[in-house]
Amino acid sequence: MTVETAAQLLKATVDELSRRAPAVIAAAANQLRGIILGLRFGDGTRIELRADHSRLVVSQPNGETPDVEVYFDDRALNLLFDLERRPVDQVWEQSLDVRGDREQVLAVWRTFQVLSQRGSGLRAVQSLWRSYRDRDPQRWGRLAEQPAVNRSRNPQHARNTGWRALDYLDRRYPEDIAKTSSTVGGAVYTDARSLWDGYESKPWWRFADVADTDLMETMQACKERVSQEFQRIVPDREPRAELYDLMREYPAREGKGLRPTLTIATCCALGGRDEDAVRTAAAVELFHNGFLVHDDIADESTHRRNEPTLHEAHGIGLAVNTGDAMNLLAVDAVLSNLPTLGLARTLGLIHEIMHMCRETVEGQAIELGWIRHLTVPERDEDYFHMSTKKTGWYTCISPCRLGAICAGETDPGKLDLFTGVFRLIGIAFQIQDDILNLLGDEALYGKEPLGDLLEGKRTVMMIHLFREIGPKQRQRLLEIIRLPRTEKRFEDAEEILAAMKQAGSIEYAVEMADRLAHEGVRRFEEDLTYIPENEAKALLRQIANYVTTRPL
Amino acid sequence: MPANLRPRPPSCTEQVAVSLGPEGPFPRIRLRKVLERRWLHYAFLSRDHKLSMVANVAWLGPGLEAEDTAPPCTSILLVHKRGEGWCSSQFNTLTSTPLWSAFRQPHAMHAPAPLTLTSTATTPAVELQLARSSRPCTSQCAWLAPDQHLRWQSETGIIARGRWTFRDQTFDDVEAIGYHERVRGYWGWPELGGWVFGFANDPSGASDSPPPTAFVFTLIQPRGPGDAANGSMMVWRNGRLRRHFPRRCITFAVRGQLRRNKVQQAPALSNLFGVPPMEPIPQQLMISARMGDDWVTYDYYCDAAARVVIPSETSLRPFSVHEVIGPVQVEGCISGEHFAFDTYGIAEFAGGADDG
Repeated sequence: MTVETAAQLLKATVDELSRRAPAVIAAAANQLRGIILGLRFGDGTRIELRADHSRLVVSQPNGETPDVEVYFDDRALNLLFDLERRPVDQVWEQSLDVRGDREQVLAVWRTFQVLSQRGSGLRAVQSLWRSYRDRDPQRWGRLAEQPAVNRSRNPQHARNTGWRALDYLDRRYPEDIAKTSSTVGGAVYTDARSLWDGYESKPWWRFADVADTDLMETMQACKERVSQEFQRIVPDREPRAELYDLMREYPAREGKGLRPTLTIATCCALGGRDEDAVRTAAAVELFHNGFLVHDDIADESTHRRNEPTLHEAHGIGLAVNTGDAMNLLAVDAVLSNLPTLGLARTLGLIHEIMHMCRETVEGQAIELGWIRHLTVPERDEDYFHMSTKKTGWYTCISPCRLGAICAGETDPGKLDLFTGVFRLIGIAFQIQDDILNLLGDEALYGKEPLGDLLEGKRTVMMIHLFREIGPKQRQRLLEIIRLPRTEKRFEDAEEILAAMKQAGSIEYAVEMADRLAHEGVRRFEEDLTYIPENEAKALLRQIANYVTTRPL
Repeated sequence: MPANLRPRPPSCTEQVAVSLGPEGPFPRIRLRKVLERRWLHYAFLSRDHKLSMVANVAWLGPGLEAEDTAPPCTSILLVHKRGEGWCSSQFNTLTSTPLWSAFRQPHAMHAPAPLTLTSTATTPAVELQLARSSRPCTSQCAWLAPDQHLRWQSETGIIARGRWTFRDQTFDDVEAIGYHERVRGYWGWPELGGWVFGFANDPSGASDSPPPTAFVFTLIQPRGPGDAANGSMMVWRNGRLRRHFPRRCITFAVRGQLRRNKVQQAPALSNLFGVPPMEPIPQQLMISARMGDDWVTYDYYCDAAARVVIPSETSLRPFSVHEVIGPVQVEGCISGEHFAFDTYGIAEFAGGADDG
């Protein structure tokens, strides 16, 4: 993205952080809650910033008087970000102006503190600000001492830069160690630290806490790594066209990479190696895709990830067989961990995988039962129960638990902590998915629009709608959802959607997802304190917060 | 003739007539306390930096109730081949007898003597002829707790020639240059805390002469207060110890984390025992030393590591010695002589047994 103005820079920063570090945005939004912040910049551009639940919304001023007004010129912007240059020693005259109620000004200050302190460590954010700064570097105030980038043999360096090892790492090599091609780690800047300065020792094994990392970059890396493993697992032999090519093609369709990231990140957070979790993550993907193939047949879905479902493209027979083969290969993939992870961990993985599969098929049975018996459950809890079983376990809970087992964590008490946290996150995520199916852009969401309504899926919105409407309308809508999918028209789905909007079911679901996600984040921070604050745990934190800041 | 007075070996190239004191490498007194320990440590890098090895032979005190039994001995050998990783024995490497040590007196310079270390699985293995080319440093001692200490003495510039076996590959007549150390004392792993240790030899010297420059650094970080750390950096020039930078004159700093995938756990058996995860290893280590006009900088980039898991006798968590290999840049000035070289070095980051 080209950033030409200061307003564009702020907007791009918030957008980047929303995608890469949702936890930072959620924390900033928490500070800004209820305040409309007007930002005016030295180049004449203006924007407005406000919090919507856990999201930060950047918009053009709409004429409403903001609660707090801040004026920045480029020199004062330097106060916010930029690790490479020292902040100006003081705010220059006519460089920064803040007006508003004292408490609200302090809240705004805290918002920027969160954004700058937690967000600026991300390489991507630094890159964005660097590109803006380099357009006109002189306006950014005094430069920090220019470091010698090249490793010179001149012993004079020892005198110029101070002889202490910390100075050498900070000043002679200001560019951080190049990010290696890893899945988890390296997305944030790390400062050099002293082990011994001649007087004080700090153990080499005590690393500084890392609270945030780049979610998008890491998810992409994890997805690619697991995808490679996936391709390796699927045999390269006949019958290709009728089986193995279908197995390869289906998972290669666009997905977020959430499950592989959860598995690898949990393993790394507990001190394991990412390579130890890759095979298991690929196995979970195999199970997941096997379930999806069968699920699409059961739901009579026509599209998955922007393309025809497998049974639509190749017929039900081949699709059923491909789904079976995926489940079979997944078991094989888990077993193949034996030489690297040892017997205890592999047995733990098998136990966990079996549990995951059992929960998933039970969840599927509950939902199919509702559809077959033409019932809509009355309580939200019924949906939570079904959703946790059908998607929660294999989407969020089991990937984390499996990652923990890969790292050698087999204590049921500790594994159950992941269940508690990610059950809530998983339900919130599923509710949001259901909302996106109704309101979202097909290109982004990947499933046919209103597909859930055509399938007659019992979502939170549907349950709420049937609770709220009168008997006459209930009878009418029941007649629609009782129709087989092939007989339902798009107009029928739109009629249900209109009723949901009228009954406030969508707002109800948005609020519920938000509440569950916040509870999940709270439990993440309270229950998982035993995990050290490393970059992998930071990644789990971003995933937990991703649900709260996801654009709906 | 007294027991410690030995005839000069025929291959001796330097006049060594007598050696005073104990024969070495350790005092003759038996190990008496439960946590009393003795080690002999070996580390070598081939001149082309493709092969490296680390070996450790350790004796642990038997306790008073078992005075007549031999102390338990564990020995491990790790061989690393650049690009292919590590190959490790279990803790039962077969060793030649008597075990080679530069501290076994009298010990002539440049006189090759055998050291053979073979895994019971036959690989890895080394059959080396070792020759001293340099002098040892003065003995160092670190206090760890009221009744615990660790004493060590190092010698750089050990020249090794011989056969190396790495998995199913054998390499004959490999010349390597390395380091030898003896360690003794009485300590528990939790009290010891951890250490950072390493060495580097300037590889440009002739094969029959000591490295032009060599140095060894140590930083012992006991569990005690932060100022109780003990460390030093010692610099050899042409086989002679020329400068000893004491702890107040050195600084250590690190940055980044080595990817865990680059760390291999050893011995392989430890993978079956549910060993707790390792601590992250720093990616870059920078050491500076300065005393008067003399100074040295050591800039080390960790490239590959092996985690040797040592069960702790007094805590649940094991003690881990991370043997790390990587490129190093050294420059410095000693007594007005400037030196600089690029090579590969072996370093150790050890610790992790402290449950607290």
